Amino acid sequence: MDHNQGRRGHFHRGRRGPDRRGPERRQGPPPDQGNRPERTDRLDVEQVMREIRTRIAQRSGIDLSNQQIQELAARRLEAILDPRGLKPELLDQLRRSAGERSVSIDAVAAGGAPSYPFDESTLYDSPNALLRFIRKLLQPLLRMMFNPTPIAHALALQSRLNTEIAAREAERDRRQAEWNALHYEILQRLALEVSRGSIDAHNLLLRVESLAAKVDFNERRVRSMEGAQVRVRPQEAVQPAQPPAISASESAAASPQVVSAVQPGEPSRRRRRRRRGRRGPGTGVPAEASATAPLAPGAATEQDDGEIDEGYEEESASEPINTMEPLAASEPIAVSPAVAPSEPITPLAPIPSSEPTTFEPPTASFEPHPSEPMISSEPAAVEPIDSQSGARHEEPAPPGEPDHRDE
Amino acid sequence: MKIAIVVQRYGADINGGAELHARYIAERLARYADVRVLTTCARDYLTWRNEFTAGVDHVNGIAVERFRVSRERNEAEFGLRSDHVFSRRHSLQDELDWLTSEGPTSPELLARLSRGRDEFDFVVLFCARYFHAYHGARIVPERAVLVPTAERDPAIGLAMFRPIFRGVRAIMFNSPEEQALIRAAAANDHVPGVVVGIGSEIPASVDPARARAKFRLTGPYVVYVGRIDANKGCAELFDFFTRYAATRRDAATLVLIGRAVLEIPTHPSIRHVGFVDDSDKFDIIAGATALIMPSYYESLSMVALEAWAIGRPVIANAHCDVLLGQCLRSNAGLYYADADEFGAVLERVLTDDPLVDRLGRNGRKFYDEHYSWPVIERKYLDMFAFLSSNASTYRMERVPGWFARKLRSLRPAAQVLDELPTGPALDVDDRGPGRSAPQRQGAIA
Repeated sequence: MDHNQGRRGHFHRGRRGPDRRGPERRQGPPPDQGNRPERTDRLDVEQVMREIRTRIAQRSGIDLSNQQIQELAARRLEAILDPRGLKPELLDQLRRSAGERSVSIDAVAAGGAPSYPFDESTLYDSPNALLRFIRKLLQPLLRMMFNPTPIAHALALQSRLNTEIAAREAERDRRQAEWNALHYEILQRLALEVSRGSIDAHNLLLRVESLAAKVDFNERRVRSMEGAQVRVRPQEAVQPAQPPAISASESAAASPQVVSAVQPGEPSRRRRRRRRGRRGPGTGVPAEASATAPLAPGAATEQDDGEIDEGYEEESASEPINTMEPLAASEPIAVSPAVAPSEPITPLAPIPSSEPTTFEPPTASFEPHPSEPMISSEPAAVEPIDSQSGARHEEPAPPGEPDHRDE
Repeated sequence: MKIAIVVQRYGADINGGAELHARYIAERLARYADVRVLTTCARDYLTWRNEFTAGVDHVNGIAVERFRVSRERNEAEFGLRSDHVFSRRHSLQDELDWLTSEGPTSPELLARLSRGRDEFDFVVLFCARYFHAYHGARIVPERAVLVPTAERDPAIGLAMFRPIFRGVRAIMFNSPEEQALIRAAAANDHVPGVVVGIGSEIPASVDPARARAKFRLTGPYVVYVGRIDANKGCAELFDFFTRYAATRRDAATLVLIGRAVLEIPTHPSIRHVGFVDDSDKFDIIAGATALIMPSYYESLSMVALEAWAIGRPVIANAHCDVLLGQCLRSNAGLYYADADEFGAVLERVLTDDPLVDRLGRNGRKFYDEHYSWPVIERKYLDMFAFLSSNASTYRMERVPGWFARKLRSLRPAAQVLDELPTGPALDVDDRGPGRSAPQRQGAIA
């Protein structure tokens, strides 16, 4: 049994975008065809059977039963053997030949014109003994009037020829009957397969259209993400010009700068956790323990490596925004070419005039885009800030551990 | 009230469907009337060989008169005649000859009926297609109550049976589908009829664990009960089941109960336990997830009713109108028309316990409402009372003369059958005699 029936497929788990937001996401799960009758007071076996047949159709990808396909094939066969294009009676002949093949073969084997042995005495033969005797008695008289011997020889020869021709004819008819039956069978199967193939092709076409729509949507998503990075980068580019925000972080060690970058990034991490929520327990560590456990060095990156949600993790892994480095006033944030290798973003891209928040201090206005995982890989940088702020620091769960903190 | 039950075979050890039906009815009606059974000395329905001693016998307290069969059935002759009347244009005499070759021909039994014409108030004739029922109905039409036990086989299309269906006093149908079939074939709406069916001797309690231990049945299983025969759809069942099992590592077991006429495939998930007694049978059914009925032709499946009586669902062949109709009316069974559906239905019942429980409850309710013995007895008694108070106004049509019988004017019976309506009958009113025929829904599968 497929225990995952009714659940979203694996490929949905890391998806982000407008299709997961909005009212449709809060809608209940799609009606489970299999459980509906149980919820009703009165069981309807017809409804149960309809559900079962629907599932079969979905599984096979063709919403037609074998019988329906055969009927369709029969209609196609009629179309192939259109009387306007071929002999009008060909279809009937083929059908008759296929249906009566055994009968016709038997008839041919047993049939043919009856053959009689013919010799000179046959002319005077009779079942009546008296008549036979009289004929024999008068035979010399008859021979006086004409010579019956050549006639008897000719008829004997003709009789033998008739027998041979009948045998040849019977053999030919038998072979023809077999060929007719074979042709009809081949045509029937061909039409059946063509019908089945055309239905499959139609289904595949619909699937291709669906996949094309998904590809189109993903492309739009990538473009929107790239655009968001373009908007974020100029904000960071002006960070050196905003000393109060930086100095607040720099009051501790050099690493707290990292933390100041991490803190705004927390919502982004939460968003990631949501996509990881369905992993089963792998290491046996309780979720509560993992939530409060100190972050092991490199745990975040390891977790990312082990994540099932490849699409999202690859994206995060390919965006090595170096938050560990102190942000020098003259140093713009490096943008990994892996994000959009074909469109290198220059650090000095013009700032859109319609975004005045770009010139505000980063601590107040900087809202990192969720697609940028501003995660520190150094736990030592995290600890002091936690102790200063007094807030509970949320550690990422160990690899393989379910993380339901945001759910 | 004195009632004669006329049936082709009778005995405590004869377990054919119609014969068991007749015995149950005789024993139940004996509580309300003086019942006497008229039957033959035959035990084997294929040969009609005289194996019982002719004369009066008693079976479970019921008086049984046995009469000798004058000729055994010749299978080859019967086959040829069947082929002739079912598939070729033929005469009425051909049909009568076919009936004689089918048997069981017992002129002594008919003579006894003729002699006792006024002795019985009603003569209940079982199995319309047999010699004794046809001629018995012609001898005592004014007292004849027919239990046709007809299936959708070509015999129902034979012309000689139409006067019988039109001329008897009443017909006790086994199912609405049978009723609709006979009404359509014979146009006999004037004949009082009621869908009765048959009850069964359901044990007060069942012990599935005992059956599991006795037959070493582990894990979930489904069960088939009956003769293991290709005619019962078992070949198709094996095919579908092995296909289903090939796709599952933990496939359920198919348990087979009954005598094997067909070779059973060697498969780790198929278990044949052979012929078992009733207690074992009910225990095995009670432990099964479902009962499977693969037959294409049934006039009434007693074993399906027994499964429902003990709260087990049924998986039926959707090509059988009667089984399909029963599943739909009871809401207690699922059905399949091909291998895919078989696998899907089996998978569903094996994994959906709430559904199985609900189907089982519906089956129990369906059995109690329609096939429990009080209901069956009441329908018979109501019918007898109805017939006693309403005189017959219809006279059975006479057998045509010699020349008319020889006229080859009758269409092949199979062709006639093909024109009769198919599908389950859902709008059923079986409350009593004199009701109209149910309407067919049309083929579902």
